[in-house]
Amino acid sequence: MSTLSNARLGSANAYDTAVNNITSRQSALSTLQEQLSSGKRVVRASDDPTSAAIAERALTRISRIATDQRALTSQVSSITQAESALGDVTDALQRFRELTVSAGNGAYSTAERKSVAIELQGLRDQIFALSNTKDSNGLPLFSALGSALTPFVSPQQAAAPDYTFNGLPGQMASTAVSVPFALDGNSAFMLTSTQAYTVAANTTPTSTLTNSQVTISNPSALTGDTYTVTVTGIDLASSPGNTLLSYDVTGTVSGTTSYTSIPYATGQTVAVNGLSGLSMNLTGNPVLGDSFTVTPGPSVSLFNVLDTAIQSIGNAPDSNTAGQAVSQALGDIDLGLAKVGAIRSQAGELLNRADRISGNQDKRSIQMEADRSRAEDLDMVKGISDFQKQQTGYQVAMQTYAQIQKLSLFDFIR
Amino acid sequence: MSGILNVGTRALQANQIALQTAGNNIANVNTPGYSRQTAVMQTVPGQFTGSGYIGKGVEVSTIERAYSEFLTRQSALASATSSGDTARSDKLTQLETLFQGGKDGLGAAVSDMLNAFSDVATAPTDLTARTVALTRVSETAQRMSNTATSMDDLQQSLTLELKNKVTSINSLATGIASVNEKIARAQGNGQPPNDLLDQRDQLVSDLNQYIQTTSIPATDGTVGIFIGGSQALVLGNTAAALSLTADDFGVQNNKLALIRNGVSNTLNENTLGGGEVPGLLRFQNTDMAEARNLLGRYSLAVTTSMNDQHKLGLDLDGNPGGNLFTPSDITNNVSGAATNSVGAGSLTLGISDISRFAASDYEVNFSSATAGTATRKSDGSLTAFTFTAGTALTNGTFAFYDPSTGVNDLPAIDGLTLNSVTTSAPSAGDRFLLKPFSTATGNISAEFSSPRALAVASPWAGKMGASNTGSLQLSGLETRNQPVGTPPPVTIKFINANQYIRSDDTNYANYPATLPLPLVYAYVSGTPIEASLPSNYPTTPYTYAAVSDWSVTLQGAPKPNDTYTVFGIKDTTTDPSTGRPHNNGIDLTLTSGNANAMMNLRDAAMFDGASLTDGYAGLIAQIGIRSQSASYTAGVSSAIAASVEKNRTAVSGVNLDEEAAKLLQYQQAYQASAKVIQIAQSIFDTLIQTMSR
Repeated sequence: MSTLSNARLGSANAYDTAVNNITSRQSALSTLQEQLSSGKRVVRASDDPTSAAIAERALTRISRIATDQRALTSQVSSITQAESALGDVTDALQRFRELTVSAGNGAYSTAERKSVAIELQGLRDQIFALSNTKDSNGLPLFSALGSALTPFVSPQQAAAPDYTFNGLPGQMASTAVSVPFALDGNSAFMLTSTQAYTVAANTTPTSTLTNSQVTISNPSALTGDTYTVTVTGIDLASSPGNTLLSYDVTGTVSGTTSYTSIPYATGQTVAVNGLSGLSMNLTGNPVLGDSFTVTPGPSVSLFNVLDTAIQSIGNAPDSNTAGQAVSQALGDIDLGLAKVGAIRSQAGELLNRADRISGNQDKRSIQMEADRSRAEDLDMVKGISDFQKQQTGYQVAMQTYAQIQKLSLFDFIR
Repeated sequence: MSGILNVGTRALQANQIALQTAGNNIANVNTPGYSRQTAVMQTVPGQFTGSGYIGKGVEVSTIERAYSEFLTRQSALASATSSGDTARSDKLTQLETLFQGGKDGLGAAVSDMLNAFSDVATAPTDLTARTVALTRVSETAQRMSNTATSMDDLQQSLTLELKNKVTSINSLATGIASVNEKIARAQGNGQPPNDLLDQRDQLVSDLNQYIQTTSIPATDGTVGIFIGGSQALVLGNTAAALSLTADDFGVQNNKLALIRNGVSNTLNENTLGGGEVPGLLRFQNTDMAEARNLLGRYSLAVTTSMNDQHKLGLDLDGNPGGNLFTPSDITNNVSGAATNSVGAGSLTLGISDISRFAASDYEVNFSSATAGTATRKSDGSLTAFTFTAGTALTNGTFAFYDPSTGVNDLPAIDGLTLNSVTTSAPSAGDRFLLKPFSTATGNISAEFSSPRALAVASPWAGKMGASNTGSLQLSGLETRNQPVGTPPPVTIKFINANQYIRSDDTNYANYPATLPLPLVYAYVSGTPIEASLPSNYPTTPYTYAAVSDWSVTLQGAPKPNDTYTVFGIKDTTTDPSTGRPHNNGIDLTLTSGNANAMMNLRDAAMFDGASLTDGYAGLIAQIGIRSQSASYTAGVSSAIAASVEKNRTAVSGVNLDEEAAKLLQYQQAYQASAKVIQIAQSIFDTLIQTMSR
């Protein structure tokens, strides 16, 4: 305090000053006590506005991370259920495939095939039920970008003989803090026109030429054309033991291309050229006019493939017909297995991603909590040390005040 | 002989007066405003004799008051500053407690409310999650209006306090005037009226607690008291009356006016200086106003953005959402100066962009009928505008004029629009005060409580082509407007990995073979694609809104002929390419697009660029900084005041030890004087005895 040199002290003012000092010591002590008991350095924003804002922001982030994590738990639970459903679908499809293969056994009787068909029917029902599974909140697991409560519906009318997906095809993307709730059921269970091709069988009665299943050799070269392969020439003489086959491939858009004198071992297998992105083999002895039509299938579902297989196996009058049905069915089932497998691996990837997100979020939450604590929490050691320092100061102020008050010249006037 | 006796008697009298003065000092040691007094002794002029001047003793010439005009004035000034700063700081501490941080604060309520939509998005059909979200909405509304109510209470007690203090000022001023009169009367008797002077000094010092004054002494012993620089509060024996008054725009109790001889003179707040009343006025007109604006901006932005987003959704019954909060009406928060040529009702306020709000009031000044400036009061920044009746108003990049309605839109200032609603144009010198936020929080409440009516679904939906072969994924589909009727679906068809064409192009079907070809757009993964229309879009049969209706973000690598189609979620018309409804028969109650959008408001850039959930942290920090700096200032000025007061009391105060010493001193002198008389008597006795023999 500045004083005038050799200044007189106003007694009343000296009392006031001393009392003020003691009061301010007391209030400082009480502030420290408040900080110690609340454990916070910043009790109100004016104590340290910047830290108060940091703490407030950190608190918002922490509660937000908790919310995101809770949502993520639900999302993981849904995707886990979906993944496990797809696992069951895969197992059932594999069992279905084994049974289908066994139905192709030439020694099976019609009755045996019927009983296989009945078992196949059970598997098909299981797969269909799995495709409409719902999560714990009652939302379909395979709802893609949104769907009806039951996304997959059996054929309702003769005009639309196939199953429908009552949903919006597509996959929602993950974000930095969440994964989707649902998988794309359309991709898992519905085959698209460019994914399933059907071949109208050879109708020439004397021919033994049969076709193999059409497979996709190069997806990017697919055109969606319908192709007709017509045999235009057979030369058995020029090269003994070999057949020289000539045929036209006519595409509805791409037009006709002729292939002449393609050699192959007589009675064996020859690959058909000119089917852009597709591959098909012919086996046997051709007759002029043999014709195969390769049509991009109408959008069919995996369930329809299964239904068709069950019907054609169950109703096959002889093992030859059964064999052709089995051949067609196996190709389609493999396609279905691949599609289900692809979505299942996507689910696995989503679960991995969810683990990473969850780990990151936990780390961020800890970081935010540390930020908040640094900003507003009291360092207890420092707090207690300050408190004791202040307490000592308070005691000294009171003691010296009391001592000085005892001193008065009047005490010496007797 | 008699000389000795006289000297002794005089000395007795003088020392008695000195003792009495010391006793008076001791008696008044704790009297506020008392100045230490000293008996001033002087020798009685000696008698000339042949032996020179013989001293005739001592007399008390006057009782002097220990007083420093400079220190008294400095102390009054310092205490005025200190009490003004302390009054403001105390009020800011009260104000600050209204803006709690942490879990009980308004910020946590807003954050919890937005987070509650996460559970709704997880389970859109779960009525419990919906009810929780609604409860959070209502809790937020409650905390907002509670804070506003507390501020109103604070304002009411503040007004009362101001009125009481102004009454005190007036009674002190009257007191000073009457003491002035007594002093002027006592002036004639030659001796200073010490106690009256002390009384006046104390009154002036008390007055300075309330308002800083300047004292100018007059020749007749009176003192003139001036406030606000040069306005006379007390002149001689007359006092003017101070009162609270409204400002130019009719805002009550925010100015001081001095009424002298029936003439009211409004004082400029900036010239008032220290004192509790100016301190409180400063708190009311700057700190409180800013806090109101900050709170108003926060709640207006939060409720308006929530309402706007909610209206873009569909509820469980497929109807568009309504307001979540009672909408704040800021239309008429315009007041005009009393001297204006047109009424305040000729201008109305509107909202154009929430994210550009600044927490401030605005003053609009027309410099002529065709031009003027808008001033943001918080920082004084000016925006000039021109105004030509019947043509567009321009302000830099803004030009708003709607000839169809005849509404002249003044420039958009900080996300606000000012609309001239009458044809009578303002004229030069017209001034308007805009207070968009100060009352925006008052009547906020939650609008409804039916969980079914919570609009969780989005009105737009999209689907990928069933035969897509690329790796397209949907990042987000944002709603900008509710669909009107059944707008035709828009298909985005990729022609390669980086380019797409749109079905809302008249030439869409021509691709790739027929001319003219449709426009080709570049595709960048993760970049929004807007519904804004290509220039050659057919306007019939559906009339699109002028702005984008939706915005979709796709990510991943598309293959040629991959498609993504956007349509109304309720669009059940048949898609000719599939023979099925456009929406594939989906159930909109199972979707939660709008709940996600509400949740995403958490990150909306809102308050000077800070996100919505961070807005409250900025708010409490801003008020905390004010409170902190006011408290620092108050600490410094009260330390200065204490120091100056100590210096003043060093001159004017009573020191008991000193008075004790003086008592001893004058007691001894008194005893010695008595001895002189005794000696005189003894001499006289000696003389008498000698003579009597």
